[in-house]
Amino acid sequence: MDYKVKEMAKQIAVIKKSAIKLKELSCGIQAVDKNTERILASVKMLEINISDLIKV
Amino acid sequence: MADKYKYWNPILEKLPEDQLRNLQLRKFKRIFRWAYDNSPFYHNLYRSTGIEPGDIKTLDDVKKVPKTEKSMLREAQGKEPYPYGEILSVPLSQVTEYRQTSGTTGQPVYHPETWQDWEWSAESWAYCLYAQGYTAEDRAFLPFVYSLFIAFWAAHYALEKIGCEVIPGGGMNTEARILKIRELRPTALLATPTYVLGMANTARNKLGIDPRELNIKKITVAGEPGAGIPGTRKRMEDAWGAKVYDQAGATEIGHWGYDCQEQCGMHVNEALHLVEIEDIDTGEIITSPGRKGKMIITTFDRYAHPCIRFDSKDIVEWSSRQCECGRTFRLLPGGVQGRADDITKVKGVLLAPTAIEEVVRDFVELSDEYEVSVTKVGDIDAIAIKVEILPGHESNLETIKMRLTEELRLKTNLRYDIECCSFGSLPRFEGKARRFKDLRNKEH
Repeated sequence: MDYKVKEMAKQIAVIKKSAIKLKELSCGIQAVDKNTERILASVKMLEINISDLIKV
Repeated sequence: MADKYKYWNPILEKLPEDQLRNLQLRKFKRIFRWAYDNSPFYHNLYRSTGIEPGDIKTLDDVKKVPKTEKSMLREAQGKEPYPYGEILSVPLSQVTEYRQTSGTTGQPVYHPETWQDWEWSAESWAYCLYAQGYTAEDRAFLPFVYSLFIAFWAAHYALEKIGCEVIPGGGMNTEARILKIRELRPTALLATPTYVLGMANTARNKLGIDPRELNIKKITVAGEPGAGIPGTRKRMEDAWGAKVYDQAGATEIGHWGYDCQEQCGMHVNEALHLVEIEDIDTGEIITSPGRKGKMIITTFDRYAHPCIRFDSKDIVEWSSRQCECGRTFRLLPGGVQGRADDITKVKGVLLAPTAIEEVVRDFVELSDEYEVSVTKVGDIDAIAIKVEILPGHESNLETIKMRLTEELRLKTNLRYDIECCSFGSLPRFEGKARRFKDLRNKEH
């Protein structure tokens, strides 16, 4: 099977950028900051599984 | 073939070897740079030997990096940033979980987890469990003490990640756990080999329940050699009527190895770890199959408490086999075959306690329990073993003793003083068992 590694990596980067932007917009609202940190932890797992193949 | 086997991440698990080694090199460089820049402990260790991140250009260069070991971690902890000391590589405010080692070999090592590192722990367990056939259809029972010791904590989160229904079987005694299994009908069980056998005995002998009737389909064991010892695996599979799979990990390292459904040895998760095998006597890195050595391991993606070239003391060897499952992750036949610090000389002969277990567990007339002690009589080592005769076999005691003497001699080159005890008289263990006692130092 041909896996779309580059396309997946691109989408992972989009999610990461979006989560970081969300955190910047939060003005310190903990409900946003802390849930975003969890999203970013999950994004890191996606990077380990996919993005690292092309960009470590 | 692709449909027969399950992969958590087929891209990484079937990565061609040249790409896998390339990924490992890049990831080693990344964690080495991270530790050098963020951990005063690692920075000082590397500065003292003159090695810098830029010096790592090939995987062969990795062996220039100083090793670490548990005693160094123990020495570093208990200081600021308290209690982790200078190994800590993130601000203390980012630590969200405290874990510690079992303390089997001394003072427990403290282990900090950030939320990201804890996600990683679950991720690495997910590779293992998915390879063993766990899916969202499974209901898994975890009969362990949910406490400071990391034990099966990350397995719990990995099962959730996969989508399994998890039953946290803490805070109960063995009888209560068995009754809860009967009540809730889980399909999977995760425990130490000792406890898997202990639960089966308790079910049969105290509750009159045949564990096979509880319909557990698969069991994952960790924490001790067990599933890698054919006799012990067979006992567990026969007792429960379930497939038994092995998993290997440690608090400091994470979860680095697993059986797949082929059960032909332990795959090293080489996408998340770099495993080197070192000759115990010469320190040479062994790359060829069939030579035992101790495992030196690096964890690539855990940042709060990096683990770089950690001397695990686990005895392993590379297999020459390629697994039918299609994974390119290399195999270790028998998984962890013992620990370098458990190997001891008795009467001048090197002895690994797992070799004794291999013999005892092949005797159908003996129970799962045994106890070995080494003492000194004058200047001479003496080794004794206590075994339990299963009910119904007492009349064959002398024959069993003769056969056991011979099998132990063939396997270990030693003659044992054998004591056959009645069933139920030896200690039972719930976690990691301590069946081998070297009493020589205590006597002198």
